[in-house]
Amino acid sequence: MKGNEAIGEAAVCAGCLNYFAYPITPQSEVAEYLSRRLPEVGGTFLQGESEVAVSYMLFGASAAGERVFTTSSSPGISLMAEGMSYLSGAQLPVVIVNIVRGGPGLGGILPAQSDYMQAVKGAGHGDYHVLVLAPAGVQEAVDLTIDAFTLAERYSNPVLILGDGMIGQMMEPVEFPDPETIPPPQPRPWATTGMKDRRQNLIRSLFLSPDSLEYNNMHLRAKYDAMERDEVRYESYHAERKMDVLIVAYGTMARICKTAVDVLREQGLKVGLVRPISLYPYPMQVVHEAAQKAKDVLVVELSTGQMVEDVHHAVAGSRPVHFFGKTGGNIPPPDRIADEVRKLLVKKPGKSRKTGRKS
Amino acid sequence: MKHYTPAMARSRVTVFTGNFGSGKTEVAVNFTLLLAAQETGVRIADLDIVNPYFRCREASGLMEKAGVEVIAPAGGWKHADLPIILPQIKGMVESKQNRTVLDVGGDPVGARILGSLAGSFVEDELDLIVVLNGNRPFTDTVDGACKMIEDIQEASRLSVTGLVGNTHLMESTTSDVIRKGEDLLLEVSGKLGLPVRFVTVGKGLLAGWSGSPPRAPVLALTRHMMPPWIESEKQGSEVFKNRDGSTAARR
Repeated sequence: MKGNEAIGEAAVCAGCLNYFAYPITPQSEVAEYLSRRLPEVGGTFLQGESEVAVSYMLFGASAAGERVFTTSSSPGISLMAEGMSYLSGAQLPVVIVNIVRGGPGLGGILPAQSDYMQAVKGAGHGDYHVLVLAPAGVQEAVDLTIDAFTLAERYSNPVLILGDGMIGQMMEPVEFPDPETIPPPQPRPWATTGMKDRRQNLIRSLFLSPDSLEYNNMHLRAKYDAMERDEVRYESYHAERKMDVLIVAYGTMARICKTAVDVLREQGLKVGLVRPISLYPYPMQVVHEAAQKAKDVLVVELSTGQMVEDVHHAVAGSRPVHFFGKTGGNIPPPDRIADEVRKLLVKKPGKSRKTGRKS
Repeated sequence: MKHYTPAMARSRVTVFTGNFGSGKTEVAVNFTLLLAAQETGVRIADLDIVNPYFRCREASGLMEKAGVEVIAPAGGWKHADLPIILPQIKGMVESKQNRTVLDVGGDPVGARILGSLAGSFVEDELDLIVVLNGNRPFTDTVDGACKMIEDIQEASRLSVTGLVGNTHLMESTTSDVIRKGEDLLLEVSGKLGLPVRFVTVGKGLLAGWSGSPPRAPVLALTRHMMPPWIESEKQGSEVFKNRDGSTAARR
């Protein structure tokens, strides 16, 4: 299946019957697919008048106790930034998928990883985080989308799947899990489903008294601490032993780097890869420990340098951190990455190396 | 095993349609290169107004090298997701010269573009093909595939004249996957009275084929529309070999 269709089917598989979205390349196939597929299972696809409208359609459906999700691409996610802040403040579980294209502004329609900061550091206002997962293939996009619904409910928090145009458009064989094995939606006693025999439920992000707002902030902080403790995901590839160069990359770029690692290792070079899967919470400890086994760290992204800041933070000056990035939808092939690694290896031992970025 | 040959392609104009993601572009590029190996003056037009990536314009360098004239939006428009219809295409269809291949966008939405050309096609010159991948959503049953074909006919205001089987599971394709796809294809073919032109089999799989061969002629397929890590893996290792003639480490 194409990545976009597979993400749509994954949501159906997870029992999500509510999908609201606005079309934008390169993710419009999710809407195309679900507009046909959801009616078959009694679900609803509704096109919002804009992504701002969509984010509050998510708010309403989630507050009413329903599993709900949306998909968009970079400019659309910018419009949802306000909604994400409100959803986080009101602690509503929703799943949002960003199939990233090049920016800023309208940018282009080709793959990019230039929304890392927006996703991980928060596009909207206030002290909040969304849990961010980055797939590196169609099967993983399916698995993470299904997990996202459970995670959103576990933390009562938005979960963002950060893909890119390549993940959305490429085709790979996929398997869907037996729906019986997927955890059913958790009860939502807080949902606004009609008062009946209980007290009024109120879902809000407005807390006028200083203590009640601080209480909400501290409660959210405790949830983020729990995510940082329990939800770190990563893949380590030949990064367990001593290395000359450790590559850190995620998503599509990690897939290309993996091929580069294979090519370099065949030639006897000691190169490994850490691929963060959860971008928030970021695998700080894992990257730090892997860096201790390497002489140099190389961060590769389809951006001019965003995740590299978290790698600097993780490595904390203990190793030189280098950067290689491409933009515009230009995707560097594995041999280009291999060349970047070789450049680090030809440096004479003993010669002092600069820490910092280059592009 | 019968192999598909350019001599079997009798129509001057071959149009590839099908549902979204059925592999039309891959089939159209392979078909065009097969023709170009035998004939001169082969032309292909990229009429894909549906897909934003993996369109045949991405293989234009390869095809031009083989002597194929590629008609596709140029410059910055090459990467646009706009419904660009080049005026030359109508001329190509009406010219009565040169072998011409049209790669049309997926689904009835993509086939609608043919409606604007419907008056230009000459009936006995045209082979309007639907490419069928039996592993794709919505065309994995006989009824689903028949509905897709009917919808394409309605949108294009043309009659489909042939079928191509392109059932696969990428790298996981086996001989059984191809046979199962062909069973579905033949059932659709029988139900609608449409002939099967050929079925595709990846070159790698063809070398290790097991069991009974496909009943239809086989077109040996080379994948051109590939994600960068697969495409370049091959390129990469070739490059290294050329540089130092060995796989030894270079420092």
